[in-house]
Amino acid sequence: MRAALLPLFLVWAPLARAQPSEDRLNALEQRLSSLENARSNNATSAFNPALGAALDIAAVQTDSKATINLRAAELTLQAPIDPYLKGWIVATGSPDTVSLEEAAVRTTALPHSLSLTAGRLFASFGRLARFHDHELPVIERPRSLDTFVGGETQADGVELSYLFPTPFYLSAQAGMFNKIGADNARADNAVERPLDNFTYLGRLTAYADFGDDHSLELGASQAWTPKRIVPDAAGTETTRKNTWRTLAGIDLTYRYQPVAGGLYKGAIWSAEIMQNNERRFDAATLLPRDRVRSYAGVSYLQLKLGRRFSPGVMIDLSEDLDAPKTLTRTYTGFLSFHMSEYQRLRVSASRIDDAAAPGRRGNRLGLQWTAVLGVHTHSFKDR
Amino acid sequence: MKKTSLALGLALMVLPRAEAAALRVVATLPELVDIAKRVGGDLVAVDGLARGVEDIHQIVMKPSFVAKLNRADAVVFLGLTAEHTFLPGLLDAAQNPALRVDHNTSACLGPGCIDCSAGVRILDKPQSLSRAQGEVHAQGNPHYNLDPRNGLIIARNIEAGFSRLDPGHAAQYKKNLAAYREELELKIAQWVKKSGPLKGLKAVSYHGDVAYLAAFTGLDFIGTIEPKPGIAPTPAHLAALVGVMKDAGAGLIVREQQYDAKTPAWLAEKTGAKIAVIGTMANSMPDTETFVKFSEKNLINLLEAR
Repeated sequence: MRAALLPLFLVWAPLARAQPSEDRLNALEQRLSSLENARSNNATSAFNPALGAALDIAAVQTDSKATINLRAAELTLQAPIDPYLKGWIVATGSPDTVSLEEAAVRTTALPHSLSLTAGRLFASFGRLARFHDHELPVIERPRSLDTFVGGETQADGVELSYLFPTPFYLSAQAGMFNKIGADNARADNAVERPLDNFTYLGRLTAYADFGDDHSLELGASQAWTPKRIVPDAAGTETTRKNTWRTLAGIDLTYRYQPVAGGLYKGAIWSAEIMQNNERRFDAATLLPRDRVRSYAGVSYLQLKLGRRFSPGVMIDLSEDLDAPKTLTRTYTGFLSFHMSEYQRLRVSASRIDDAAAPGRRGNRLGLQWTAVLGVHTHSFKDR
Repeated sequence: MKKTSLALGLALMVLPRAEAAALRVVATLPELVDIAKRVGGDLVAVDGLARGVEDIHQIVMKPSFVAKLNRADAVVFLGLTAEHTFLPGLLDAAQNPALRVDHNTSACLGPGCIDCSAGVRILDKPQSLSRAQGEVHAQGNPHYNLDPRNGLIIARNIEAGFSRLDPGHAAQYKKNLAAYREELELKIAQWVKKSGPLKGLKAVSYHGDVAYLAAFTGLDFIGTIEPKPGIAPTPAHLAALVGVMKDAGAGLIVREQQYDAKTPAWLAEKTGAKIAVIGTMANSMPDTETFVKFSEKNLINLLEAR
């Protein structure tokens, strides 16, 4: 009898052991099925652009007078348009006006590591000139950039970028724009012009690491406008001969970034030199004057002492575009205090030797509070 | 002659260099470099970005990284936005069609993207998203590399990625994976036994990155030195933490090596707890250059400090 039951037991025992596993498998299959059948996030809002904003509030005192300003509320929208095209819009509201700072698309569908950006963008001239105001290391944009570039390098046009397939970083940009500089009054974006009235830009950037902690970045930029539209004595606007303009610049950036210090420890030293070469016109008579070559330079050293504190000094030298060798010197000391990743307080003190007002010296004290709302991206350009 | 030499020199500089390996791979973290080398063997040339001693959320975007990513066939990364401060920006600048970045999600989308987090059981998924919660990761805690068992998933994902990109050598990648799995599983079995004394021990950490370490060791983390992720500790928070630790009888402070030593030392003095220093990446401490050595060193430091 026992011998007859033994085969039955041998068959039943593994089945009995298998039963819990089978239940578990069934339960897993049910869970998997519910996951597979779950509806995807098909809300139309899923395609909305990423939205971020920066608030820049500043108080500035010059000698005995002071102002408090909401300098800018900068709204940024960005989104991929297709796998090879992205777009972004940066609109800035200030106390007097709302303006479109950037609105551009960039495609990477081109071969050989080329990318093409078109629209209103910050042209690749120099280094600091391409920073938005609140991203600068100091509260107020250096006078040299305001005078020579015309504020930020805002430009309407196209820019082609190429990354060389070299073992080290080497990139080149070439652009064609109506003009470069948000406050550059030499040309009007709305006016139609022949090809020789556009501004053409070239830039080359090379970078090298020196060990793990040190690096050097060298850039050279040249903007060339073959001819300008200028009013003649009768007030008629015509393209004039010998009105070509070049704006050339060299920028050098040394970074000490100890590996263990991450983003918050180290030092940056940066220097930029610019040369402007153009035929100037008398503002009152509109008559042409001699060709003038002027120089400007800005250099700063910023220490990163930790997550919160970042002090620095800046020297800015700017010649008068009409009267070279008439130099305005600005010496600035600044201290940034990062209360968190998304808000920063900054104080600065500047001493200005203003060449435009001979014998006049001025002091400016500044306090800035910057906060970032919403999406905050870490872009390579702003590093 | 001079012109010819110059032209040849320039051409050699600009033309992509011929590599003996089938795949040129960039891995973001040292442990991913290690595992990618083990799975890929001689068939891959692996280059790394982070050195290991950094805070993973503060790795600096160097242009030299852009040059590496521009030439790479694949990028191996931890994922779950662990690399959000540097990888999307670098991929955007690298202009490599195989490694595209989604500007809405910061995800790597191209065929060369190898996300090691696929299949990981994600912990600490946030219930809501707000900056008021500090620097939270929308997809959940990304520090899954602190659980040695996830090394098996990382290796599997890397093998799948290499086999997809280089199907001709898939059999070799699978063979390498099997060898690595065998080695790691043996180690994990040893570590599970060793970590027994840590089970249930109350502890605090500096940053909220230890959920996976807790899952493996059984440590019971009751608080963090940071009041919220990425927010520096305040005096009020630290005073409250001293009370919480004393009430719970917490005897261990886990300091990730990239954070300052002063605050944990102060906390140890106030509570009598011991400090264990751990790494959050391979190569963060001496002799931790591989995933196995890194995982083992963390466990040893925890056991010695308890």
